[in-house]
Amino acid sequence: MSNRSPVLFDVGWNACINCGACVAICPQPEPFISPFDTIAVDRPCDIACMLCEDICPVSTIEHTVLDGSIKDIPNGNGRSDIHP
Amino acid sequence: MSKQDYDVVIIGSGPAGATTARLLAQANINVLLVDKRQELGAPVQCSGAVSRHALEEVDIPITDEFIQEPIYGFGIYDQSGAETRIDYRTLKPDEYGPEASKKPLGYVVDRRRFDRYLMTLAERAGAECMLKTEGLGYESIDDQHCRVHLRHFRRDFSVTCRVLIGADGLMSQVGKWAGLRTHIKITELASCLQFVVDRVETHGLLEIITGHEWAPGGYAWVFPKGHGYAEIGLGVIPTMSNNDAQWHVKHFMENSFFKERFSDSRILEIQGGGVPLAHPLRTQYADHLLLVGDAARHVNPITGGGIHTALSGGAVAAGFLQELLAQNSPTRADQMAGYQDAWLQELGNKMWKLYDVKTDIFRERDIYTRDQKLYETMSSYFSPESEYKKI
Repeated sequence: MSNRSPVLFDVGWNACINCGACVAICPQPEPFISPFDTIAVDRPCDIACMLCEDICPVSTIEHTVLDGSIKDIPNGNGRSDIHP
Repeated sequence: MSKQDYDVVIIGSGPAGATTARLLAQANINVLLVDKRQELGAPVQCSGAVSRHALEEVDIPITDEFIQEPIYGFGIYDQSGAETRIDYRTLKPDEYGPEASKKPLGYVVDRRRFDRYLMTLAERAGAECMLKTEGLGYESIDDQHCRVHLRHFRRDFSVTCRVLIGADGLMSQVGKWAGLRTHIKITELASCLQFVVDRVETHGLLEIITGHEWAPGGYAWVFPKGHGYAEIGLGVIPTMSNNDAQWHVKHFMENSFFKERFSDSRILEIQGGGVPLAHPLRTQYADHLLLVGDAARHVNPITGGGIHTALSGGAVAAGFLQELLAQNSPTRADQMAGYQDAWLQELGNKMWKLYDVKTDIFRERDIYTRDQKLYETMSSYFSPESEYKKI
């Protein structure tokens, strides 16, 4: 969990392979899922742990921080420190 | 839908849900099996490898309807390409082979046809089956009943039942409804991507390629897919790489010791998924509810294989519920706990042991030592002497 600002996720549908990994990793206690079986994109995520971005096999999830700034996440960026 | 009250409602018609439904229906238990998808098994999130034993154990007829290719053994590779070959056609030539008098060790199945076939078997056994039917929630009514809220083609309705089964896969929402701790750690969920390809030769073996260079935290695979096709894929643990699974597949295909073999390949399908290399859920039941299959994390933490464990777990759930429902006893959590006890005895204790083995490997910080441990574990896991070969 983090103390970051809430974020709004954006799924690049052209690259999404509907694998469901983003939903599987999501730690939200309540379902946080879109009608297309991806992470929800129509409401803010107040946990902002970014695990959904980290697990995506094709790096097609990005987010907007809801304090107004925009964070672009190119391939692999946003991943946690590397450890086994 | 013809009724509003069932003995059991099952959400999710994958291998676990459909097998549970079929076995319960065969015991004259009223079952409603629902799935939100319009085509079962799709989008494909699985390589489709399953042992023959796993199918026979739960009386699934072996038919061309879902089999893509028979499997006769394994090729386990280390990072540099050194191979341990475990080919049962050589090890046990009287028993295993393509001849009519012999048998395969397992199969690669088409998950779309396989899942549809399993639902068909459940339906023919007497289960009521509904596609495009999504679970919305459930609540307890009394000691013996709960109400399940469903949506079918935009129409909301509710049914009552004595037991709700969550068989809704790795993305399970049913467990969350009950407040079960279903969250999986990022260090234990492999991010997987695979291509179905043409022009890659295979030899009836499941080929598993270890090595941090190709698949950090997981392994790569080359599986036969029937009709001359193959599957090339891998799973990585995101915290062990700066790159995503897509990058690693490209790297593996272009730079590994198999690069010549893959050089003329043509991609026909792109598939992916999350594969838990984790322990089973510590609690797989709640009031009127139990979880089976991926939803309960019944996945082999060494191989990531989940079909066998889903089928076997479904059979355990069905056996437990037959007894419980026949006694007309309450279906509160206290009573449902017996399911988990039965599952641990049948399968779960071995899976916990496998989880310890896997944890020991990936706790190792030295990459070379870790790679060696994984290669040796994989090689011994698939050997005829393995104590785990029936999982």
